[in-house]
Amino acid sequence: MMALVTIYIDDKKIIANSEKTILEVARENNIEILTMCHLKGLTDVGACRLCMVELEGSPKLFSACTTKVAENMIVTTNSERIKRYQRITTELFFAERNHICAVCVSNGACELQNLGYKVGMEAIRYPHLFPQCDVDTSHPLYVMDQNRCISCSRCIRACAEVEGAYNWDMMGRGYQIRVISDFNTPWGESTTCTSCGKCLQACPTGALWAKSIVQGQQDKHPEFITDLMERRKMKL
Amino acid sequence: MVNTDKNTILISPVTRIEGHAKITLQLNEAGEVADAKFHVTEFRGFEKFCEGRMFTEMPTITPRICGICPTSHTLASVKACDMIMGIRPTYTANLLRRLMHIGQNLSSHALSFFHLSSPDFLLGYDSDPAKRNILGVAEKFPDLAKRGIRLRQFGQELSERITGKKIHIMGIVPGGMAFPLTEDNRKALLEWVPEAKETTLQAIELIKRFHEENEEMVRTFAPSPTLYLGTVGPNGEHELYDGKLRFMDTDGNIIQDQVDPKNYLDYIAERSVSWSYRKYPYYKPFGFEKGIYRVGPLARLNVASQMKTPLAQKEFENYKAMCGGKPLHGTFYYHYTRLIECLSDVEDAERILNDPEVTSLHIQNFGRWNYDEGIGSSEAPRGTLFHHYKTDRTGKLLMVNLLIATGQNNPSMNQSVLEVARQYVKGDDIQEGMLNRVESTIRCYDPCLSCSTHALGQMPMQIEVLDAGGELIKSLERN
Repeated sequence: MMALVTIYIDDKKIIANSEKTILEVARENNIEILTMCHLKGLTDVGACRLCMVELEGSPKLFSACTTKVAENMIVTTNSERIKRYQRITTELFFAERNHICAVCVSNGACELQNLGYKVGMEAIRYPHLFPQCDVDTSHPLYVMDQNRCISCSRCIRACAEVEGAYNWDMMGRGYQIRVISDFNTPWGESTTCTSCGKCLQACPTGALWAKSIVQGQQDKHPEFITDLMERRKMKL
Repeated sequence: MVNTDKNTILISPVTRIEGHAKITLQLNEAGEVADAKFHVTEFRGFEKFCEGRMFTEMPTITPRICGICPTSHTLASVKACDMIMGIRPTYTANLLRRLMHIGQNLSSHALSFFHLSSPDFLLGYDSDPAKRNILGVAEKFPDLAKRGIRLRQFGQELSERITGKKIHIMGIVPGGMAFPLTEDNRKALLEWVPEAKETTLQAIELIKRFHEENEEMVRTFAPSPTLYLGTVGPNGEHELYDGKLRFMDTDGNIIQDQVDPKNYLDYIAERSVSWSYRKYPYYKPFGFEKGIYRVGPLARLNVASQMKTPLAQKEFENYKAMCGGKPLHGTFYYHYTRLIECLSDVEDAERILNDPEVTSLHIQNFGRWNYDEGIGSSEAPRGTLFHHYKTDRTGKLLMVNLLIATGQNNPSMNQSVLEVARQYVKGDDIQEGMLNRVESTIRCYDPCLSCSTHALGQMPMQIEVLDAGGELIKSLERN
């Protein structure tokens, strides 16, 4: 049941709707919290662990996108500890797959690349896994490149929640997790994909891209997903 | 000096070139140079790791082969992609691609002549190695050094004002170009032309003066005849961006003309050697031993019947007159031909920038995968460059063959090094200036061995002398 609560984010007193998450309230109040897996309009899953915040009274961190605000909650988003974790998380994204910005189709238009700049990543301190990843070019219009996937699952949720096609899903666990088409079959053979391209718009990196473009022409609009969902809610 | 082997001289690393290499000179019992080997000691692997990628990614991946001539790689690559898609770029896109290539050629040639080679001409082959670099030139000839740097800047600005970046540009795409040229940028580029033209003419005067003053050395500097390969237009005119191949024999006879680059494998074959990562390409009909051919500015001017622009044509006629219309084989003439190309580039840039269509917005045609094979070529600053891709039915690359200009010059570079070493290196009494002459033979070709430039010549140089039995007897170290 909706109620108004008083919370404090980085010492700023805010009256907020109790149905909302810390992330939503922070953004409404122009407080920046880094995210990769959040895309407004889609269900939040707390997958990327970038939006971790400190709550007074608890030693553990909470993901801002999945934690709802509560009365007298005292939230810290910018402590040194948080910044340190953000850098670690970002570096782990880069170390886990084969992210080579210089030759990526999304170079210059990539949320992961921007995140690296934002957290001040100068080097990756962890050993790269350099996994052998497939590039699925079987779809006539699009490419799925596992090398550049960060498993944020935005494509999966866009496909399921907006398009209703349920083409994408997850397979495996931990660092071996993979986004798959249908039952791990080539995307071009999918019986569910409508080729709508929403997954491309939702993808924050160069993992999903259109065959018709090359580097310098990447022009993704994840806000399309948000707009679609807003209009749908308003029954427009 | 370290004496370990009597009859081999090793120059490693070779300085003021792009990349890493070393030279081994093998002496015989009499202390004369018996054999020379120019080793390329690095391995890149582009052909292999590009397999499995979408073909449309190649114009982005392959320019990373080199920071000096990325645009040439992009152009060869997009042309291969155009062929796979079965589309042609628009008229304006071709103009912009040509401009990009001119910028590439100018900046590379200016780097080669002013930054890397001019210290030898202006300061002397035997001058103090510590000052024999562009900074030494700047100290003694400040105006010329500045002009040389600015000529290179013009080349890079062409790239920046068309695609937003000086190197590793993104904007040359299959079917055309991604960004149009704005009127402001067109005007700004045109303003560079008079200065660039003047600089090029001054440099031509400089090299011609050097030719006169050092006639014997220039004439005898690695003059072994080779075949030549270059791109020409429909009337045999000098061409850098788009044309057909012409092969010329040692006497100047055209042995193949108007060959479509997509048929390159009918005429060029490659062989590997155990002591270098670089392959040995050769003119297939003549076989490995007799098929040594050269590419690059010297080859392009040797095979061309004419230039496309008036001032360059005048110089070209002077060049042709030097050998009665026959090809000039002297490796030293690479410098002169490089500068004639610079002049042609500047004039051609002026012509293109004055074309009313250059700022048109019709810059890209669109297509998708249609054919499973694409071959593109362009005349990189160092010579003819081929990109050859084969794909599956989804556009995924199954085979990549990149035939790089410097690779094609490799056999003749070895031959030239041997000739100059025989001329200047005698026994184990090795002077630094002798080694610089051997190195400068390689610099004539302006080899692009990787993507790094040791423009200041700060790398240590080591020369080793081995005896006939292979034992190292002497080592000379620079720095």
